[in-house]
Amino acid sequence: MSNQATSLQTIQRWMQDALMFPGQTSGESTTGLINPSSRQTAEQRLAVYQRSYYLRLQKCMREQFPALCHALGEQLFNDFSSDYLQSKPSVSHTLYELGQRFPDHLEQTRPDAGEKPEQREQWIDFMVDLARFEYQVFSLFDAPGHEGKPFAAHNTADEILQLQPCFALGDYRFPVAWYYHQVRQENQPKIPAMQRSLIALLRKDFLTHTFQVSFTEYQFLSLLSQGSSVESALQRVAEQTELPVEQLRDSWSSREGARARWIDAGFFIAGS
Amino acid sequence: MAVPERNAVKHRLDRPGLGLGLGLRNCHFEHIVSNWPEIDWFEAISENFMDSGGRPRWIINQVAERYPVVLHGVSMSIGSTDPLNFSYLSKLKALAKEVNAAWVSDHLCWTGVMGINSHDLLPVPLTEEALQHISARVLQVQDYLEQPLVLENPSTYISFSDSQMSEPEFLTELVNLTGCRLLLDVNNVFVSCFNSDTDPQAYLDAFPYDSVVQLHLAGHQDCGTHIIDTHDGPVRQEVWELFRQVWARCNGVATLLEWDGNIPAFDACHAELLKARNYMEAGHIQTADPRPQPESTGSISNPVDFLVPQVMDSSVMEHR
Repeated sequence: MSNQATSLQTIQRWMQDALMFPGQTSGESTTGLINPSSRQTAEQRLAVYQRSYYLRLQKCMREQFPALCHALGEQLFNDFSSDYLQSKPSVSHTLYELGQRFPDHLEQTRPDAGEKPEQREQWIDFMVDLARFEYQVFSLFDAPGHEGKPFAAHNTADEILQLQPCFALGDYRFPVAWYYHQVRQENQPKIPAMQRSLIALLRKDFLTHTFQVSFTEYQFLSLLSQGSSVESALQRVAEQTELPVEQLRDSWSSREGARARWIDAGFFIAGS
Repeated sequence: MAVPERNAVKHRLDRPGLGLGLGLRNCHFEHIVSNWPEIDWFEAISENFMDSGGRPRWIINQVAERYPVVLHGVSMSIGSTDPLNFSYLSKLKALAKEVNAAWVSDHLCWTGVMGINSHDLLPVPLTEEALQHISARVLQVQDYLEQPLVLENPSTYISFSDSQMSEPEFLTELVNLTGCRLLLDVNNVFVSCFNSDTDPQAYLDAFPYDSVVQLHLAGHQDCGTHIIDTHDGPVRQEVWELFRQVWARCNGVATLLEWDGNIPAFDACHAELLKARNYMEAGHIQTADPRPQPESTGSISNPVDFLVPQVMDSSVMEHR
């Protein structure tokens, strides 16, 4: 740095680089821009910011991915999140989006990315799926919901049933929801074997509920989430599964069927 | 962009102070909506509520029906050389209207450049260039929000060799150029002055009190060679002594305790806040304890993890 005043933009770009890539900051530039104090050199003063940058955001990542942190152990989780934060720093005004790109980052940077899918490490698949599930749960926590307004009732006609706004479906290679809730109950779950897990997530009364659903139910709910009517979704699922549509209608509308259970659980609102 | 004349601005900022308030924190939500505690007002972190469609938004609306609410932001980045984020400002303005915010504040800082948000409150060099740059942005923000912006003195751990003025001088000029108001964080004065070998008394003597609408109090951690603004404990005695002086000069402005790390129960935070009354009476002088031994070298500046909700606690696995 020269003796002339450094522009605000140059100082800010330099300092941001110094936070994100602390090992690459030259001592000369630091002493040129920052005054020492009576107790600390310029480098030591800058290091207060540098050290806090990753520690602060790692703590937020642990809050957003508590089950993944449990699965990996805090040290390894911190290593992965540091790599993520360096590669994909936050570009949002809100920390709620800090972990949004983490699952994709884990997938993109996996060490066996060059291998054929069947030759890849399953534990990495599990970590990626668990991260996806955790961010899905985190997102639903604060997404627009239906609290304070009436949900559908048993006598609401099929023609006006709509999935409620705070609803999501997930298709995972492992029982990640089970693992997540084991961690929530402070158990010590082992990494589960690969087993496809289809889930529906919704928020009601500000609690996020996770439901295991069958493949047929998943297909049906997917169609509803894309705007299909109940009858049209039943017919499409019948075509896809080669099950008789009458059987599906019965599964849907019988006394113990999905319709009644899901209405009770808050899947639906009454549309117009 | 017009510079508001201070005396001509008939805004709610000119009304008497709100009293003693606390930060609205996730871990206290249940206590607040169950008990509606007797407290004068709440300060909410803008970014925690502006995008919310869930419980945080419901909570702040419930709170705003019963208490005055002030919005305090951490991502406006008023000192950045990046363009202002009008999408962010739009959400901030909508939230301020929704909760009838008494005012909207942020920090004299920048949080990132080139589109990145460090989520830290980074210091600006106190130069003429920065003053002109920031004052132009404050005017833009005030025009957009249609109200004066309130800016807080940040806690700082470095000082730039290019700086041409003290922080009180910078803020005085900023007020003159923009008509903005100030949030004086008494703990930050102590922290920044210690870290930069400057005299907190001189800082306070030079501060433009006429523009102060709010005070902050908080705890900090002494790391020996420097002090970190951790907001994770009671207010230190040295800071209470500074508060006593500031209070006498500010004529009863709104005062708020920030407690953001190791947050205790609501009643404990409230009890710490109410200690402020001991320092509001003229002549009440308590001898400051000698500076305690350093107790920490691993503290994190500007903790933000309290901004991230404990979502796992609100999750249920159904078996039907």
